[in-house]
Amino acid sequence: MGSLNTIAIVLVVGLILFTIGLSIFSRRFTRTTADFYLAGRKVGSFSNASAISGDYLSAASFLGVAGAVYASGLDGVWYAAGFAGGFMVVVLFIASALRRFGEYTVADFAFGRFGSHRIRLVTVVMVLITSMFYMAPQMYGAGTTWKILVGRGIFGMDPYTSGVVVVAAIMMFYVAVGGMKGTTLNQIFQFWWLNFAIIMLVFFAFGNGFSYPAELEAASESTLVNTKVVTVEQLTADDGAMLANAKSVMTAEEFAAVQAAVDAGDAEAKVPVALSAVNKLHETRDMLFNEPGHRYNGFDQFSMVLALVLGTAGLPHILNRYYTNPSGAAARRSTFWVLVFIGVFYILAPIVGLAGIGMIRDAVAGGTAPATADYVNGMLVKPDAIMPTIAQILGGEWLMGVVSAGAFAAMFSTIGGLLIASASAVGHDVYEKYVNPNASEKQRVFVGKTSVVIFALIAMGIGLGIPASGLDQAYPALIAMMVTWAFAVGAGAFVPMLLTGIWWKGTTERGAISGMIVGGGGSIFIIVLNILAQLGVIGKTGLFGFLGGLTFPTLFTFPLALATIIIVSKMDGQLPKNVDEIWMRIHGTAHERHERELGLDKVGTLFAKH
Amino acid sequence: MGDTTMQAAAPARGGGSQTETQHGTHIDTIENVDIVFRAQRRLSFSYGAVFFAVTLAIPASSVWWKSWYATPIWGGFTANYLFVSLFYYVFLWTMAWTYSKQADKLDETLMHMADAAVASADTIGEEG
Repeated sequence: MGSLNTIAIVLVVGLILFTIGLSIFSRRFTRTTADFYLAGRKVGSFSNASAISGDYLSAASFLGVAGAVYASGLDGVWYAAGFAGGFMVVVLFIASALRRFGEYTVADFAFGRFGSHRIRLVTVVMVLITSMFYMAPQMYGAGTTWKILVGRGIFGMDPYTSGVVVVAAIMMFYVAVGGMKGTTLNQIFQFWWLNFAIIMLVFFAFGNGFSYPAELEAASESTLVNTKVVTVEQLTADDGAMLANAKSVMTAEEFAAVQAAVDAGDAEAKVPVALSAVNKLHETRDMLFNEPGHRYNGFDQFSMVLALVLGTAGLPHILNRYYTNPSGAAARRSTFWVLVFIGVFYILAPIVGLAGIGMIRDAVAGGTAPATADYVNGMLVKPDAIMPTIAQILGGEWLMGVVSAGAFAAMFSTIGGLLIASASAVGHDVYEKYVNPNASEKQRVFVGKTSVVIFALIAMGIGLGIPASGLDQAYPALIAMMVTWAFAVGAGAFVPMLLTGIWWKGTTERGAISGMIVGGGGSIFIIVLNILAQLGVIGKTGLFGFLGGLTFPTLFTFPLALATIIIVSKMDGQLPKNVDEIWMRIHGTAHERHERELGLDKVGTLFAKH
Repeated sequence: MGDTTMQAAAPARGGGSQTETQHGTHIDTIENVDIVFRAQRRLSFSYGAVFFAVTLAIPASSVWWKSWYATPIWGGFTANYLFVSLFYYVFLWTMAWTYSKQADKLDETLMHMADAAVASADTIGEEG
């Protein structure tokens, strides 16, 4: 561990200490369940937008988007655009209605809208599943970032395990202690830190002579090249097609090492190679950086856009945040600012990805590339490492430290939101409603904190289980892939239920439950098939093979869930007896007029004591 | 769901608690809320149609419009790359801003309308 990592580690430790300090500070302002889960419902638009942005920008955005652009060009840029576009669905169809309904959680909405305990429990299960899908890549990111940053384990654990355990322990502590107020304060700080990190990176890139149009032109002059770690068996399969491809791309010196591995005859030996990419969209064209088709064929171009755009509106930890707004109008304003904040971030992230191509190639050629990363053909073997790598090239130790702290900030803020969402699903939706409805305020907050601890332990278990399951070997860009799964489950389970529940009075409880099961369950089923296909458990033919080959199930599951809700509701016809009352609660304004008259719609302070 | 439901064919209209809600001196009636709902729906779905049309037009153009995805217009930027990496965000910001403003304005109008309707009903009641 050289001095470079020492400075980075010091900055990360500083971030952690600040985070813990903020949680302890906010503890004195958390007395009630409304404080613990919703920060007292008085978070202003700007603060809430910063917190939502921190909640939303996870390891996948901070590390994954630049990496996806670096590896895939335009198809990678779509990750950024799709992640941002999702908030339009939120602002247009969901934000103000959800806030006006005025509960704590998505499960509360389902119960209040459809009037049954059954739908609340189904929603709770879906919230927990979606949150765990989203938690998994964060924990995996924690382990891998620790590996790059620290490079060694603690207390006899390997580096990956150390990262997962340490991050889970920190999150467990700061969320349980600070509740939503502490988490909100931390998310605001963490968002601005990671935004500062990416602005610094872009600033340094332009300062080093980066020109967006010129670099894009240079990167698009020849066929896109990808790096990959493959086994000798894979290299020599199909009459050595991959080997011939690598030979045509790699330098003679680098290819000699590949050939030596092949000649050694160990079929399981792994070797990094560079391969020219194939255009999956326009098969007769070369695959250029500035053209679509590297990752997605025609079907997936549409399916991916829908998955990302619809998935945002189905993330429970994001939806819960809308209840912290003081009014429906404030919820809309918050979303506008979220779009501005994350839009700036997503405009900058692809610039870093593009800048990395030329700058890392030059650094490798000049022998100045960081030794902590692996390279082949002048490119990173693992594109997800581009942020800390280019930071080190451009700004040395300090910029590397700022960016590493940004990566942890991205993970902390998202995991914090997920833990609050999971804890509220169990503590509020189950304990307070069914287990002990007469619980005192103290008991409720205690259960919320206990839930946080339990879910942090579950998240730790998932994080530790990923390498053991072989998933990290099956998917080259696992963080981005797992986040996409969470989006797909959320888009299938919640968005059709929310859209119909808010905008179609005729939606019935049975219709909504059927839609959630078909949409959420169908997404999970297709994702599991996709995992089994990647692990080689099922083949690529037949119905299962076809479904297992779907990268994004949303193009099927979303319309199917929507159709299910409509058909079952029509057949069922059992509306809640007080449907008009419910309708007035979602779309009526008397409550807001009353609050405005009393001045209760004003933004409060996060530091109010009750 | 048992006793908490009723047939859709016979919507609730009977009890006062079912057709109006009161917060302080402010009252929502189902008739007024339906007006609010229809106006909000028109606004949200109009913007939604534009949003999805533009968002899905990008992959459609990526598949079928060669000049869009393969012709550089500024350095290495194709129209496709420039839109997805920059102008799409400007589009989102403009949409979100104008929608929020129009929705706020609509809220104001409908709130005043609702209060005016209640005040008018009170006056008629007093005169009666």
